Amino acid sequence: MIALIAAQLRERRRSPLSWGLPLGAWAAFIVAIYPSVEGALEKAIRNYPEALKKAFGIGELSTVEEYLHAEMLSLIVPLAVGYLAVRAVASALSGAAESGRLDVLLSAPVSRRSLVWAAFGAAAVELAAVLAMALALTEIGSLLAGAHLSFSSALAGFANVWPLALLFAALTIVLTGWSLRTSIVTGSLAGVLVGMYVLDLAGRLDTSLDGIRYASVFRYYGNAIENGIDPVSFLGVTVVAVALAAAGVALFERRDLAG
Amino acid sequence: MFAIETEGLTKFYDGQRGIEELTMGVREGEVFGFLGPNGAGKTTTIRTLLDLLHPSAGSARIFGMDSRRDSVAIRARLGNLPGDFGFGKHTSGGEALALLARVRGIETFMRAEELARRLRADLTRPLGQLSRGNRQKVGLILALFHRPELLIFDEPTSGLDPLMQEEFLALLQEERDRGATVFLSSHELDEVQRVCDRVGIVRDGRLIAIERIDDMVGKTQRRVSVEFAGPGPVDLDELRSLPGVMGLESHGARITFRVAGELDGVVKAIARHRLIDLEVAHPTLEEVFLTYYDEGGDEDRAGEGAQGADVVHEGMAGEDGADEGGAG
Repeated sequence: MIALIAAQLRERRRSPLSWGLPLGAWAAFIVAIYPSVEGALEKAIRNYPEALKKAFGIGELSTVEEYLHAEMLSLIVPLAVGYLAVRAVASALSGAAESGRLDVLLSAPVSRRSLVWAAFGAAAVELAAVLAMALALTEIGSLLAGAHLSFSSALAGFANVWPLALLFAALTIVLTGWSLRTSIVTGSLAGVLVGMYVLDLAGRLDTSLDGIRYASVFRYYGNAIENGIDPVSFLGVTVVAVALAAAGVALFERRDLAG
Repeated sequence: MFAIETEGLTKFYDGQRGIEELTMGVREGEVFGFLGPNGAGKTTTIRTLLDLLHPSAGSARIFGMDSRRDSVAIRARLGNLPGDFGFGKHTSGGEALALLARVRGIETFMRAEELARRLRADLTRPLGQLSRGNRQKVGLILALFHRPELLIFDEPTSGLDPLMQEEFLALLQEERDRGATVFLSSHELDEVQRVCDRVGIVRDGRLIAIERIDDMVGKTQRRVSVEFAGPGPVDLDELRSLPGVMGLESHGARITFRVAGELDGVVKAIARHRLIDLEVAHPTLEEVFLTYYDEGGDEDRAGEGAQGADVVHEGMAGEDGADEGGAG
């Protein structure tokens, strides 16, 4: 299993650079410009409609943490890293089926179960590495610009994306139980990712629709950079992700792997 | 003792026929050719043996173990080269080898290095940067490096240049000498003829015959074209009367005919005359199939498949009986 995880990570070794670097650079830029736009932001935000501020989790933007959440962690980072999770697992399963890698691995004494769990494990490590890279660059941006971003808050903010993304890694395994076409898997789950965000947004904008938010993982995402990580949500989403992955493993074991 | 045994192995997927009622046995230590045109069901058979596809009906046993329940234990003892080998664009052959060695618990790479040298394979470059033929060489190394007891090859020489094809066939002979069983799927009749002990012929998902290679070659008809120095006193009736000669036609100084079985009598008869040209064409795969259909008396090509197969199998049962492991 460890050999399979290591091999998958090696295959995707560029991911922290290709995903963590741009996300981190963008977040670093946001943090770095905060000191120079701080006053103007506070004035501008006072004129925003309350519903809009609530929907997008925008507070008074009186701290760099609030600004980082509004600009990056409320939407861009979870969507990007959620999609990365889909890509990571799809690469290890449907992508591997398309490239022929799966045939070679499953000609060796490797069980399908180990292979899928290894894909999930490798995705978990890859997501953590990308988030760590983004966090590190954000902190560097803060230090260079003197933005005084709290490391522990930023750590909570970025770390909170991990279970959400892991859930999409698990959903990818489930979907791979039905289709081994990467375009179908990634396309469908990109739709689910955006759909869940929109559901949550609609529920926040209209309180009568609050119930639909339970169908979205964003309901449990919150604002960890300001409020800290909610351990129940963090663990709960992680456990659901692992359970979904287990269901996906069962589906994958039963399916045909057509060449 | 059979290395591979299938009993009524059937696979339908997405409403399409893959293989139907495939019953055969591949003996330990033999090189077994699995012949058929594209789409005949060769790859489906291999994927079902490897548990990549789950059978719709029937069963397969490899080394006496169930191909589904014991698939991991079976795969520890085999090497497989898929039809179109790939392992990801960014991974080098060396990295793929290291992973498979670790999975298989192999610590020495001497055999892999020897194979790489013989096949002139580059194990350092990412596979995405290699041509199909060079990727195929890496695939061969991955299939062979652990000295498996059973080798399964699906169109192994596709993409290899003629020199490497020769090297591959030499490797195959060595594997047979070592005692390994080889299951070689191919649509290259020449390749199969050179290395295989027996062949199974599959068409439209059904096994239509299992033959020793010599018997198969003996049954198939070669096309012979002879040009004599002049119209001269060539006795066409003498040629017509030779065993196995049929369809003889004369076109001036040139005669054409088909021969089934040995060529010895024909060669001796025509050698008494002065020749300008002699051409012996081996049958195409399609012609080999026709031989089997004709033998079964099934002239109606529209009725090919199960009916024709049964006729051929009956003939085989009388020939070799159960020991042949033939299709039932």
